[in-house]
Amino acid sequence: MNIKHIPTRKLALALSVLLAIAACKPEKPESPANTPPPNEEELITSVRAYFTHSITNEVVEFSWVDADGDGGNAPVITGGELQPGATYAVSLLLLNETESPADTISNEVAAEAEEHQFFFSTTGGSLTWVSYGDADPNGLPVGLVTEWSTSVAGAGDLTIILRHEPNKSAAGVSGGDITNAGGETDIEVLIPYAVL
Amino acid sequence: MAVSAASFAQTGPCTLVLSGQVFDEHDGQALSFAEVFIASLGKGAVADEQGHYRIEGLCPGTYQVRVNHLGCEPTTREVRLNSSMTIDFKLEHHAEQLRELEVIQARPDEQVGQPTRSVDREDMERASGTGVAELLARVPGVTVLATGPTIGKPVIHGLSGNRVLILNQGIRQEDQQWGSEHAPSLDPLSADRITVVKGAASVQYGSDAIGGAVIAEPVELPRQAGIGGELRGIGQWNGRGGGGSALLEGGLKGVTGFGWRVQGSGRYVGDSDAAGYTLSNTGLREWSGSASVGYRDHRRGVSVYYSRFTRELGILRAAHIGSTTDLQRAIDSGEPWYTAPFSYAIDAPRQTVAHHLLRAHGSLAVSDRGRLEVNYGYQANDRQEYDIRRSGRSATPALDLWLATHTADAVLKHWLGKHMHGKAGVSALAQENSNIPGTGVRPLIPDFSKKSIGAFVIEHLPVGERLELEAGARVEGTVLNIRRFDRDGQYQTPEHRFTNAAFACGANYVVSDSARFRFGLASAYRPPHVSELYSEGLHHSAAAIEEGDAALGSERSVKATLDAEAALFKGRLRIDATLHASRIDGFIYLRPDGTRLTVRGAFPVFRYTATDALMGGVDAAATLRLGKKFAWRMRGSTVRARDQRRDEWLFLMPADRVENGLLIRMAAIGRWRDFEAGVTHQAVFEQHRVPEGLDFAPPPATYHLFALSASSTRLIGKGELRIGLQANNLFNEAYRDYLDRFRYFADARGTDIVLSVRYAFGSRRSGN
Repeated sequence: MNIKHIPTRKLALALSVLLAIAACKPEKPESPANTPPPNEEELITSVRAYFTHSITNEVVEFSWVDADGDGGNAPVITGGELQPGATYAVSLLLLNETESPADTISNEVAAEAEEHQFFFSTTGGSLTWVSYGDADPNGLPVGLVTEWSTSVAGAGDLTIILRHEPNKSAAGVSGGDITNAGGETDIEVLIPYAVL
Repeated sequence: MAVSAASFAQTGPCTLVLSGQVFDEHDGQALSFAEVFIASLGKGAVADEQGHYRIEGLCPGTYQVRVNHLGCEPTTREVRLNSSMTIDFKLEHHAEQLRELEVIQARPDEQVGQPTRSVDREDMERASGTGVAELLARVPGVTVLATGPTIGKPVIHGLSGNRVLILNQGIRQEDQQWGSEHAPSLDPLSADRITVVKGAASVQYGSDAIGGAVIAEPVELPRQAGIGGELRGIGQWNGRGGGGSALLEGGLKGVTGFGWRVQGSGRYVGDSDAAGYTLSNTGLREWSGSASVGYRDHRRGVSVYYSRFTRELGILRAAHIGSTTDLQRAIDSGEPWYTAPFSYAIDAPRQTVAHHLLRAHGSLAVSDRGRLEVNYGYQANDRQEYDIRRSGRSATPALDLWLATHTADAVLKHWLGKHMHGKAGVSALAQENSNIPGTGVRPLIPDFSKKSIGAFVIEHLPVGERLELEAGARVEGTVLNIRRFDRDGQYQTPEHRFTNAAFACGANYVVSDSARFRFGLASAYRPPHVSELYSEGLHHSAAAIEEGDAALGSERSVKATLDAEAALFKGRLRIDATLHASRIDGFIYLRPDGTRLTVRGAFPVFRYTATDALMGGVDAAATLRLGKKFAWRMRGSTVRARDQRRDEWLFLMPADRVENGLLIRMAAIGRWRDFEAGVTHQAVFEQHRVPEGLDFAPPPATYHLFALSASSTRLIGKGELRIGLQANNLFNEAYRDYLDRFRYFADARGTDIVLSVRYAFGSRRSGN
């Protein structure tokens, strides 16, 4: 074989294949330069619990607000004062306040009610969670609306937990026992209360 | 043929043929691609892979035939040609017979002082149906950092991720390798051989090679006409899936030196099973293809390679948790909180990755004593990670990254004086990372661009018959430009500059034909990755917030290795062992730094911190032949790593392990050839050497795994059929591995049975 003459032709062939391959090189998806970071769509910045007195209809607000989301400034936790020997209807409001207007996350929870359930616990003994006041399409509880009662004067903390994809039919879960619920935690906040 | 026909007044018919084979004088092995040349005629040939050469159209006469092979002394021999003749040439390699600088091939050069081990196609057959990391774990000293059954990253001497450089087709792989749940986007079947360099290798390969390097060697294209190919099929019981691949290659009639190859493969696997339950949402799909074409002769070569690799994988559903309470619950229960019946479906959380690689290579002999090699590579890595989200957002990626990387290098392989030879080169990299908008999630790492340029030289000097020395150095500068918004929405463009230097020296001493030592002392460096500088966010499966530290500097390491290979008792016992010790200054790792209250409860904050690390260990392998058919094989490795500033153990180092196997080999059983079967036992011991307070759960207990394997080959027509059967975790042991990041949530895979079938023909047959 003559080593001087063959390569040029083959080189040209190889190069043309290169060009053909390069022509189909992948394209980066369009993105405008320096796009500011999005507001977190999944974020829950505010958990608000409205306690409505069954007789006086007086409303006490408890809130857990982390306006800038995870990190940055620490959350602002505001407890409330309840009256002794009363029953309260409690409704929950979840917001993403980094959006403008604020995104009502509790509506998303209500829309996917089968996949969500709230659980509650308290310390101090003066405030007791009584029962769920709502249900998903399968007739199982969600917890956006609940019934609570107070006894004698005292103080403590109430814990609100939201589980995503819990096993609602596991033993005790529909009665508000979190032990067998499983799923993953979307919310777990602690707010102080006082019964005066 | 114009030159020879016109130039010489030889008498007689010019139809004679000079052919033969070129061998290494020392070990009698054929020398691939040696150059056989008749200077007076301007005529020559390049030997093929088996050292065969053939020069046609010769007139009778007397010629000076020169045989050249880089790494060997050129030989000139007078040949009196009266009729067609077969002449074999033997070339004397330099003292170091076991390494060579290839003339034609672009195979990465072995280092004199570095311990290297290769996984060839046969080993790949045995590990059919696994990823790159699991395949490389056959090499002592290499382990796997896993994230459940679908994600594995190779760990060399305890280091992984950004501390192990992967070279794919000669191009440094850039595929978001910083993430411990980002497996290499590489199809092992696209390479003929994968080599692990177990030493600091920054001089040769640039930054990041602190633990070592993994080299998926470039495909060797055929140079002769004729078509070859192979088909493979794999079926695996655990995961109820399988895979296959097809390869076709050939040359062009009448154009020696031209070759092409196309290859494609796929894998489709459903949920894996652990010993006691299904690991839900651990399915995997991989599709990949590559095409290459090239021409090469003894003076010049050009080739183009393109590959596309796509992977979609599910992430264990039970490992997606929302809070530390959930994590503690998972650890306490000892079982995954979510299991569902077997399914092929892949739901959130999941990942999709597409990796493109385009490589162009050229080489040119600039003189008798030098060859210039030029490489250009373009890579695009397209990664989406999908999380479990509310209101249908699970279909929107929570992380959407596009990483484009251009690399270019030019290397001059050269001879200086009679014996000294080496390489000198420059390399450059330009990289752009973009977060594709629309995720609705604050990016985990910011957009950035990175540029680096480096230059290196490495020289080899044989001293006498038995000793070869190596020395080299590299300098490299890196500029990192970040584009990010801080928490107040202010746009910031910090710039980071890093300048690093590395050296390497090594010696290879051949004691006798049956014993050899390699000693290497080399340094490596690694500028911090953007994730270590600017990470901010919640790591879901770790239930931890990870924060970068923009003040971090480069990691710098020095690593010493002593590698010994010996054949004792007339070759009945073969031993190889690697001792290694390294010191890494500015070793970056995640350290707990308080807790942060979030809407999902309190999370531990982990901050990237630097310390000084001291590491060392031993890898060893031994094979003892027992009679003609049996062999006993042992492999083991151990690593110790200390945090020097805090005087404690380093986190997440591989546990000690040892594997014993009994093998039987038979040349033939009836029409079946190369029968091989074996039983192996692997023990991985509990890792007791862990730092306090860095982990959520204690390391898992010691476990034992048994495996069976059998394979054989037979000829069918013009092709060759190979069937292999492998059973892993034979006794369905329920175990968890310390290096599996999902060990908090579920057991590792249970019994698996893999059947692999390969049919090869033409040039792909093993005899060829």
